[in-house]
Amino acid sequence: MSTDVHTLSGAYAVDALDPREAAEFEEHLEQCHACREEVAELQHAAALMGAAEAAAAPAALRSRVLDEVERAPQLPPRVASLPSDPVTVPGSVVPLRRRLPARGLLAAAAAVVALAIGGVLVSDTMRDDGVPLAGGVVQVFEADDARSVTVDTSNGGKVRVALSAAEGQMAVDTAQLPDLGPRQVYQLWTVVGDIAQPAGVLDDPKTGASMGLPAEGTKVAITIEPMGGSERPTSAPIVTVDPADV
Amino acid sequence: MGAGPGLRLVPSDGPGDVDGLLVRVSRGDRAAFEELYDTLSSSVYGLARRVVRDPTRAEDVTQEVFLEVWRKASRFDAGRGKAKTWVMTIAHRRAVDAVRRSESQRRQDHHGAPDDVSFDEPGDRVIRAEEHGAVRECLETLTDLQLESVRLAYFNGYTYGEVATLLDRPLPTIKTRMRDGLIRLRDCLEGAR
Ligand SMILES: [Zn+2]
Repeated sequence: MSTDVHTLSGAYAVDALDPREAAEFEEHLEQCHACREEVAELQHAAALMGAAEAAAAPAALRSRVLDEVERAPQLPPRVASLPSDPVTVPGSVVPLRRRLPARGLLAAAAAVVALAIGGVLVSDTMRDDGVPLAGGVVQVFEADDARSVTVDTSNGGKVRVALSAAEGQMAVDTAQLPDLGPRQVYQLWTVVGDIAQPAGVLDDPKTGASMGLPAEGTKVAITIEPMGGSERPTSAPIVTVDPADV
Repeated sequence: MGAGPGLRLVPSDGPGDVDGLLVRVSRGDRAAFEELYDTLSSSVYGLARRVVRDPTRAEDVTQEVFLEVWRKASRFDAGRGKAKTWVMTIAHRRAVDAVRRSESQRRQDHHGAPDDVSFDEPGDRVIRAEEHGAVRECLETLTDLQLESVRLAYFNGYTYGEVATLLDRPLPTIKTRMRDGLIRLRDCLEGAR
């Protein structure tokens, strides 16, 4: 991007930059109000050009899409910073299976419930709207009492995990996971014994996630799942972290 | 919306409609999602089909797009543009990704040359004729090189570097023609309203 970076707005608006240039230009967009505005307008013009190609979609597609959405959780709204209490996010409640271990660990059950109700706050770094990584993940990594560890995953990536008792939070930095393409996602699970509960879907390898501190005996695992995530793991975890080891 | 029971209006996608629907979708409203799908599926599918050129893959892309719209509805920022633009931008990105994933196949099918761009495919189009007519008319105000650059990028999924190679022009020229062409299209469409 030697000459005039602003003139890339047109190519960016029609997705004609290679991934490296697009990422660089997105960084520029963070700083440049004029380019943000121009990109929005040019994307609007491009969208009208695209919409002029309208063709009726096959009827069967409608029910496929609606079926899939029926099973897919939604990302919670982006929040400026993570409250210490779980946030109730309508539409993103992860169903809790009534099979919690009868180990009398009320705390464990409570934590899983809290997680199930609150969902995981997923913050993707400046994908769509240019807002930098939301407070949650950063806050945990930067907490005074933070303990963190970097772990290799079986698919050749790394994840950083941080715990902060003061924040009551655990955060996962997934920026160093390999890109999965558009058909698969990384999904987070809390695992007690051999029971895995869905804890959140990561849309993007740049994404980080934070969640309430898992109770003692709860591990956190990441698997690769089909787009939209699964109700239970369909593949072996690429990594399992015991918070006790962090 | 305005239609009585059993009566379905052709989606008007007036500015308020889609934006309001998307806000409801972000709160997990599945009825709003169905309405959103009915309003935008022909635009999304039509664009996907145009870019990926294969009806089956266009269906897959459309499915991916609407799943992403559902999942990320809460991230839509009305301050940054219209909901329909947001959806179409996702659609274009997904379609282009699909094309780039099977680049060799596309090259095989199309011998590396751009297709003739046809704006007049008849048949199953559910279109709002005036708006689409305006797009066509406005595209005619672009210079040949602007139009070619914009089309090759937008409808064929080429990067501007690839467009420069195809058209045998310097990279900076294509980059600026692409931008100038889109600006001209934007200005013309604004005037057409
Ligand atoms: Zn700029």
